[in-house]
Amino acid sequence: MSVATKTDKIQRLAELAATKETSTGDSLWREAFRRLKRSKMAIVGAVVIALFILLAIVGPYIAPYSPTAQTWRGEVFPNRGEFVGMRPENWFGLDHLGRDLFSRFLVGARQTLLVGVVATLIGLTIGFLVGGLAGAFATLGGERGKRVDSVIMRFIDIMLAMPSLLLAVSIAAVMGQSLTTVMIAVGVVQIPVFARLLRGSMLVQGSSDYVLAAQSLGVRKRRIVVSQIIPNSLSPVIVQATLSLATAIIEAAALSYLGLGNPDPAIPEWGVMLTQAQRFFDSGAPMMAVYPAVGIIITALGFTLLGEAMREALDPKLRG
Amino acid sequence: MRITKSRVARAITAAVAVGLIATGCSSERDADNESGGDKDTFVFAGAGDPGSLDPALASDGETFRVTRQAFEALLEHESGGTKLVGGLAETWSSNDQGTVWTFNLRKNVKFHDGEAFNAAAVCANYDHWFNWTGTYQSSAVSYYWQTIMGGFAKNEDAEAPEANYKSCTAKDENTAVIEVKNPSANLPGGFSLNALAIHSPKAIEAYKKQDASAKGDAITYPKYSQEAGTVAGTGPYKITKWNKGNKEVTLERFDDYWGEKAKIKNLVFRTIDTEEGRRQALQAGDIDGYDLVAPADVQTLEKEGYVVPTRGVFNLFYVGMSQSANPALKKKEVRQAIAQAIDKENLVKTQLPEGGKVADQFMPDTIAGYSKNVTKYPFDTAAAKGLLKKAGEEKLKIEFCYPTEVTRPYMPAPQDLFELMKADLEKAGITVTPKAMKWAPDYLDATEAGSCALHMLGWTGDFNDGYNFIGTWFAGFDKQWGFKDQKVFDAVNAGSKMGKAEERTAAYEKANEVIMDYLPGVPISASPPAIAFAKNVNPPNVSPLTQEVFAEASFK
Repeated sequence: MSVATKTDKIQRLAELAATKETSTGDSLWREAFRRLKRSKMAIVGAVVIALFILLAIVGPYIAPYSPTAQTWRGEVFPNRGEFVGMRPENWFGLDHLGRDLFSRFLVGARQTLLVGVVATLIGLTIGFLVGGLAGAFATLGGERGKRVDSVIMRFIDIMLAMPSLLLAVSIAAVMGQSLTTVMIAVGVVQIPVFARLLRGSMLVQGSSDYVLAAQSLGVRKRRIVVSQIIPNSLSPVIVQATLSLATAIIEAAALSYLGLGNPDPAIPEWGVMLTQAQRFFDSGAPMMAVYPAVGIIITALGFTLLGEAMREALDPKLRG
Repeated sequence: MRITKSRVARAITAAVAVGLIATGCSSERDADNESGGDKDTFVFAGAGDPGSLDPALASDGETFRVTRQAFEALLEHESGGTKLVGGLAETWSSNDQGTVWTFNLRKNVKFHDGEAFNAAAVCANYDHWFNWTGTYQSSAVSYYWQTIMGGFAKNEDAEAPEANYKSCTAKDENTAVIEVKNPSANLPGGFSLNALAIHSPKAIEAYKKQDASAKGDAITYPKYSQEAGTVAGTGPYKITKWNKGNKEVTLERFDDYWGEKAKIKNLVFRTIDTEEGRRQALQAGDIDGYDLVAPADVQTLEKEGYVVPTRGVFNLFYVGMSQSANPALKKKEVRQAIAQAIDKENLVKTQLPEGGKVADQFMPDTIAGYSKNVTKYPFDTAAAKGLLKKAGEEKLKIEFCYPTEVTRPYMPAPQDLFELMKADLEKAGITVTPKAMKWAPDYLDATEAGSCALHMLGWTGDFNDGYNFIGTWFAGFDKQWGFKDQKVFDAVNAGSKMGKAEERTAAYEKANEVIMDYLPGVPISASPPAIAFAKNVNPPNVSPLTQEVFAEASFK
């Protein structure tokens, strides 16, 4: 083998190692997107989510009445179990304080979306960073990296060991009472879930052949992590994120119930509406609970469908 | 495609499950174990755990509910009423000043531990309380002793009130004489409190060997009060077991009881802290009755055939104002504007249990001393606006605290009541800053310390004397209200110094008028708290004082 061919080969390897990171990453996502478009599940999910987002945006403008005005409060008697159901001027009937349920439902969508999305985003972002870091150290950092991973993960374990609602309550209690607090509290609770999921998934990828190949080719570690391991480990995290949205909405409602959420219970939010309605479920007004519950169910379903479809689209085994 | 389908199905199932959990969907269990006949255990659910088995150390209704079945005081209230009748004393009398009280005791009364009841036993109790030391002198432990009898033989805390108790003498076997230094409106009503119920002298000797201790605000109660075995009274039931893990106190019929013996052999008090939980337990047949029924459930339960007797009205629900928390409240116009902005009528009509009444003073109309001539502040949003303008407080911003996870006998749905009042105040142009708090300890501490400008609280009377209401709030400076007005304090205390109950009535009427002229807060309503029993139960007479005697209950 001549010296010339040897340098040629080394140069070729160097070129390979230096190619723009997007060129490989892009195709993975582009392909996933193409398959997503073909999945009925994904389309249904996306449509539901789009409708929900639309509702959140225009809801307050199309609501027929003020969601907080107790306009008809002389007509409902929660103490006697007498409520007002559907009627022409109030499509969903009245709530226990004589407010228009339809208007509350429409306006509530925005708060609900806000709480769910922001909380999940907080959990996802921080969980992604922490889990990704731990995963990267664990797979490619050698002995020292394993130790770093170990330290990070023990912290995550501590968070995971605390019951999620209790942790959220403590955070909310420390930070005081507001909707922002609720979003942060619910978000923080989800950090360990995302972190563990991503790290675990990265560990699996880390021992696979293509990573070994890339390593022996001399590709830089950071690049292996960013453009190979992480994209291939993402799918469970994304599915989890869509599922978390539903739980986030419900956990936010639980915090409001404990008096740590929005201190003004008049501001409608589906979770809060559900908690309020629960008391009257057996005594006169089951429908009061049904509207927000159905709202949450359909929204959760939308996110779940899309999540499942994305998981399928991103699954390397099904790629073809 | 099969795979996809099953995934869709799974996704739908997951979403539905999430929704179901969220709605708190509760399936009702079959109520098949409800039919009794030869049942010998009655289970009653309360909303909170008792704090102690010794009523002398307690000040809350959940504790007294349990101890009332096992301990009796010198005087009692007639079954289902508010009239004082003989308890362990058959008859009683006092001198004209109301400082020397003579009790002719019931004969042939035995304590649960076999000891005989006599005048010496009565005095052993009163002297034991009077000579309390250390943590026992904390107002959290001996609230009622201090309220009724003042301080102790040797006050260790500068804040403890001066002792009003002087002595107890056993004139003969069956005559006890209790002397106090000054006449008090709390007598003779105070003698009926379960906190001052008579214990066996043998038990008292055992109590003396144990101490309570306190670390900061946390109080460790003496061991004898936390497990059955030592405490012994004269009541129709004796306490046999307190299972704290199961949240259950078990009582057994006392066969040597002097009066009519209990109809059911075993009595169990269980704690179920939520309204829904208690209702579902009753519907499932797990319990035979429960207290603090949500107003909305009353009709449902009645329709289903449960026994839901109505209690008399003996409480007061009010909006408190802490003048130290918001200086604007020092102006009477502002207080009056708030009073006129609130639509009390609507609150009573839509939120409070049936039989609830709008209150116009700090006393329900069932108590002697209720005045018909108090200044009234009718609901009038325009007038409220005018008053605020006059006071120069058109842009008034005020904090309004409310408790989140609680129902009280006088306040069935705090958050809803709060929301309605907030809307009322906002209509009058007041900006309300809501503040939600946990009932215990946050809310109670904050209101007591006077850090909540507006707040909701109430009171259930202990016995039928007006001072038990107005004296609780307005006898002197109180941080909760944060005002000093000698005219109000004097008017309230005027009645309390009179020995005869009849004389006090006029003084209380006057006091109510003075209070409502000053308007320290807004009395909202008085309402009967509901209690419910299973279909096969002959319930005990329900008491406006929430002092039911379960020995009267039986199964059909």
